[in-house]
Amino acid sequence: MLEIKNLHAKVDGREILNGLDLTIPAGEVHAIMGPNGSGKSTLSYVLAGKDDYEVTDGSVTWKGEDLLAMEPDERAAAGVFLAFQYPMEIPGVATMTFLRSAVNAVRKARGEEEYSTPDFLRTVKEKAKDLKIDMEMLRRPLNVGFSGGEKKRNEILQMSLLEPGLCILDETDSGLDIDALRIVADGVNALRSPERCMLVITHYQRLLNHIVPDRVHVLSKGRVARSGGPELALELEKSGYADYGDEATAA
Amino acid sequence: MDLSVQQFRSEAEQALLDLYERSVDALPGDASVADLRQSAIRTYAGLGLPHRRIEAWKYTDLRAAIAEIPPLLAESDAPVDGTAFEAAFGKAFAQLPAYRVVLVAGAVRTELSDVQGLRDAGVEFGALAQMLESPPEWLMASLDAASASGDDVLIALNTALMTGGVALRLPEGLTLQKPVHLIHLDGADTPGSVYTRNVLVAGEGASATVLESFGTLGRAGVQRNAVTTVSLAAKSAIHHIKLQREALETIHLNAWVANVGADARYDAFQVSMGAALARNQVSVRFAGKDAATDISGATLARGKQHCDTTLVVEHDVPACESRELFKLVLDDESRGVFQGKIVVARDAQKTDGKQMSQALLLSETAEFDSKPELEIYADDVVCGHGATSGQIDEDLLFYLRARGLPEAQARALLIQAFVGEAFEALDDEAIGDAFAAVSAEWLGSPAE
Ligand SMILES: Nc1ncnc2c1ncn2[C@@H]1O[C@H](COP(=O)(O)OP(=O)(O)OP(=O)(O)O)[C@@H](O)[C@H]1O
Ligand SMILES: [Mg+2]
Repeated sequence: MLEIKNLHAKVDGREILNGLDLTIPAGEVHAIMGPNGSGKSTLSYVLAGKDDYEVTDGSVTWKGEDLLAMEPDERAAAGVFLAFQYPMEIPGVATMTFLRSAVNAVRKARGEEEYSTPDFLRTVKEKAKDLKIDMEMLRRPLNVGFSGGEKKRNEILQMSLLEPGLCILDETDSGLDIDALRIVADGVNALRSPERCMLVITHYQRLLNHIVPDRVHVLSKGRVARSGGPELALELEKSGYADYGDEATAA
Repeated sequence: MDLSVQQFRSEAEQALLDLYERSVDALPGDASVADLRQSAIRTYAGLGLPHRRIEAWKYTDLRAAIAEIPPLLAESDAPVDGTAFEAAFGKAFAQLPAYRVVLVAGAVRTELSDVQGLRDAGVEFGALAQMLESPPEWLMASLDAASASGDDVLIALNTALMTGGVALRLPEGLTLQKPVHLIHLDGADTPGSVYTRNVLVAGEGASATVLESFGTLGRAGVQRNAVTTVSLAAKSAIHHIKLQREALETIHLNAWVANVGADARYDAFQVSMGAALARNQVSVRFAGKDAATDISGATLARGKQHCDTTLVVEHDVPACESRELFKLVLDDESRGVFQGKIVVARDAQKTDGKQMSQALLLSETAEFDSKPELEIYADDVVCGHGATSGQIDEDLLFYLRARGLPEAQARALLIQAFVGEAFEALDDEAIGDAFAAVSAEWLGSPAE
């Protein structure tokens, strides 16, 4: 479903991704782990289409289409969703207004009908309840004054509203307390389906107890250094990234 | 008459004197008004049009900007109706529930105005032109006070040439339930000058919202000079709100002058989006203790538009509070100017004055000039000012686009969020929505 081949990407003239290969078949959940600075967030930004990241080589194919040729909003419409490591605060934009503009923009681009106000409200209420998000919070400006955990839950709310085909979660577990972690993981698991695939970036095995991955990849120095089954995450938890030391410090 | 004080006069400066000479006999008013006009035109003759070497006009060179002086606009038969309002101000604004007063070339169009409603509500109301023929004491006092301010050329010219406008007095204790909406709609086929003076007087404890909207009919160049004086007795409250959406051929000169009594509140809010050149002056003088003012608004400019907002707040007495917040969105080669002066007199202890102007530059050729001036002669005061200017935050833009918003829509949302902070000064929901709608229209995105 997602096919990344020999991906090279630069930021500010510095090469961060360095020949990355990764394939995620439909229905699978892949986890990416790796030392700080190894390029995990960079990969997620490149997939979502952030401007400052210049792809110098390689290709990314999503459902048979060239993902790199698309604008960020076209990627969203095509089903790519990135839950940000650091969600943005936007003063002056009510969260609800934002959610509605986003959902309707994506629906429009997909040739679906826009939600009516009552339908939209009902849908948001339902999903917010599952994620234990207070409706009052959604009346506030987007992410402004939200706690770290609230921001992350808000990301998952957006994800479930936008019904993506590729879910990229960049350290969604960081900053979550134990209960919130379970709520978020349940939210993510509810979206698992044969038509979707997921890329879960995390530093901790803890999240992977809840969201059990099909494959685990270790990223180091901008490329996949090792891949394995869920047991690889357990192994890393014990041994750390010492084996990837050279590369990690070089990154 | 010898009017040759100024050494050199531009053609337009001379043309203004000629305009006065040609029109003076037909201008409304009794002998006392004629005297005021006479002394005002002398003031003008001595000073000429303001130019960039005059500190208060540093960024707006009126002498250079005005090449010709069109004749005074006569009361025209141009069709003015609901369709014209909507075209000029947008649907939401045109339909705001209010006591509507329509002014064309300064004259009140009674058939379109709810003068009766205002009078039934207890307001003393008249068309200025008629009132000037035998001005009541309160009107004369306001005119005298405006003239006494001396060296403001914009106001001096207005006094000399005012042909219309309204005079409105709220008696003691009256609270108007609906806003008064003064609709200034001018121009049609031929260029013309319009000089209007509105006089608002609020008796003790009275309160009202007064909207002024400025629009044009057709595309002929209008030179507008509009002055409103507001006099607030103790414990009164006026919320004074303006929308300026005139055609791009317009030169818009506007001054609001408020004198605020003890425990009174004067709030001004202005959104400017039209005219080739606009100068918006708001000056507030505190005359009684424990009074407050909030002056806020937004400028939306593109093309080669030039919009200058100049505020002066004079804290002459202790314990008054002033707040200023202006947001400017500047695209293309437009230029936005914000000048804010806060003067705190020696006796004005416990003054609390804050000022902020923020510009969002949408192009590299847009320009923002900001000049804060604090003149503080008291020692126990809290005063602050700030000015920022920046571009759209690319990270925020990416976040919105990653959620599916097309670039134009994402930009519009961010711009509206930027401007929206100033709109929070509007507590009336219908008025707030109407401003949100006109600004959304400016941004080219459909209103929600
Ligand atoms: N805009 C930028 N300018 C310069 N360097 C950048 C920029 N963005 C990222 N980098 C660098 O690229 C490298 C990879 O960063 P990235 O954020 O992808 O790491 P990461 O694997 O997500 O790390 P972490 O686990 O800490 O989140 C880092 O060395 C970082 O400093
Ligand atoms: Mg990261």
